[in-house]
Amino acid sequence: MNLPVLLILLLPLAYLSGWWTARRYIVRHSGARVSELSSSYFRGLNYLLNEQPDKAIEVFLKLAELNRDTVETHLALGNLFRRRGEVDRAIRVHQHLIARPNLSEDMKTIALLELGEDYMRAGLLDRAETLFADLVAMNAHAPSALRHLIGICQHERDWHEAIAYARRLEEMTGESQAQQIAHFCCELAERSHAHGARDEAQRYLQQAFECLPDFVRAHLLAGQFLAAEGRYAEAVEAFESAVRADVEFVPEILPPLLDGYARSQQMERAERFLTDVLARYQGISPVLALARIYAGRDGERQAVDFLTRQLRQRPSVRGLMALIDVTIDRSSGEARENFQLLRGLTRTLLEGQAMHRCSRCGFGAKAHHWQCPSCKSWGTLRPIHGVASE
Amino acid sequence: MRLLIVFLLLLFVLLGAAFGALNGGLVHYDLLVFQTDLPKGVALLLALVAGWLLGGLTAWIGLGLRQRRRARAQRGAADSGNGSA
Repeated sequence: MNLPVLLILLLPLAYLSGWWTARRYIVRHSGARVSELSSSYFRGLNYLLNEQPDKAIEVFLKLAELNRDTVETHLALGNLFRRRGEVDRAIRVHQHLIARPNLSEDMKTIALLELGEDYMRAGLLDRAETLFADLVAMNAHAPSALRHLIGICQHERDWHEAIAYARRLEEMTGESQAQQIAHFCCELAERSHAHGARDEAQRYLQQAFECLPDFVRAHLLAGQFLAAEGRYAEAVEAFESAVRADVEFVPEILPPLLDGYARSQQMERAERFLTDVLARYQGISPVLALARIYAGRDGERQAVDFLTRQLRQRPSVRGLMALIDVTIDRSSGEARENFQLLRGLTRTLLEGQAMHRCSRCGFGAKAHHWQCPSCKSWGTLRPIHGVASE
Repeated sequence: MRLLIVFLLLLFVLLGAAFGALNGGLVHYDLLVFQTDLPKGVALLLALVAGWLLGGLTAWIGLGLRQRRRARAQRGAADSGNGSA
């Protein structure tokens, strides 16, 4: 083969090498790469859905190594680390993301919000507060940042600041924060009253009523403040208003209300009011209160008859225990011993029982809290209705 | 691997330089619009580069058309799926 023929053969060889190089370049930079990334992404997503966060983290870490520009992958990774309790790693991921020079402003603010949540989770509330305040000032993801700021203020019991943030959130989103603000005012009223500043406490209560005109907690607090001053007749009015505002809170309101009736010697009014409540409320608390009134006025026989009648309509362990308490004194011998055993058993049954449940997160508690200890929402803890509870 | 590629590249550059030096004679080209004289080595190199670019262009157009056709087919399938649902 002479040289010119060899040179002519070089031309198709050049064509072929160009074709092969271009094809390889296109395949590498489009289809194959994308499919590799997306298959890893879906694998990670699958692990997440199957509640296997450890494996998901492994896949997302690999994905982040493959493509260092994927901001979303880094955000997902940071979230996963935080949810798993590895807050220091989550903080590192988000800090690394924020430090990128070519990150868009939108992504940067998202990363800042996430970093703030990391700090909150780590208990570094001052740092989180600064970040969220910056985001609010920048008007970037302000509603989320304001919600976090309200959470921090609640944690620090800085109710004035919490009210200011809640009002700002209301202005920004148009969503009513009246209930939350009313609870904050009640917290302030309680604190002022505990420090002896009665006028100030009244002012805060007034603010709570301005937010929610028929607010059960404010009525209850007003009654408690009046009872503390010895103005029992007025306290009874306030407690009755509380029951009318929300009959579900009867178990919380009844003890001070009954005390108010007794101290202001209005037992007939108590009977009338409780009979009225009985028609509207299905729990056992008003039954027990009425039984005590009947026992004091008409004798135990009347109380036992009333209790037995009511227990048939609304079976309750607490009602049964009250019935045992009334009848145990009148029995003797073996029957008395049996009643004592039964009383012990019912007491044990009630001891571990949650009496209130949060309507938002399902958290169960024995005592009533105005703020759910689990999901931190206000006024969602309600009495549980059932045989073993209310 | 990277070292090998650099070595091969240097080898080909040296071979190209030697080829150019050995074939210093000019070739006359009449390209209708203008006429030019090019060294033999440069003419060959230009021809090779043109072939290489032409190959790349063919692959790019071919693959691009194929991908566009596939995307259109997938979109059509998705649309018909939505329509039936």
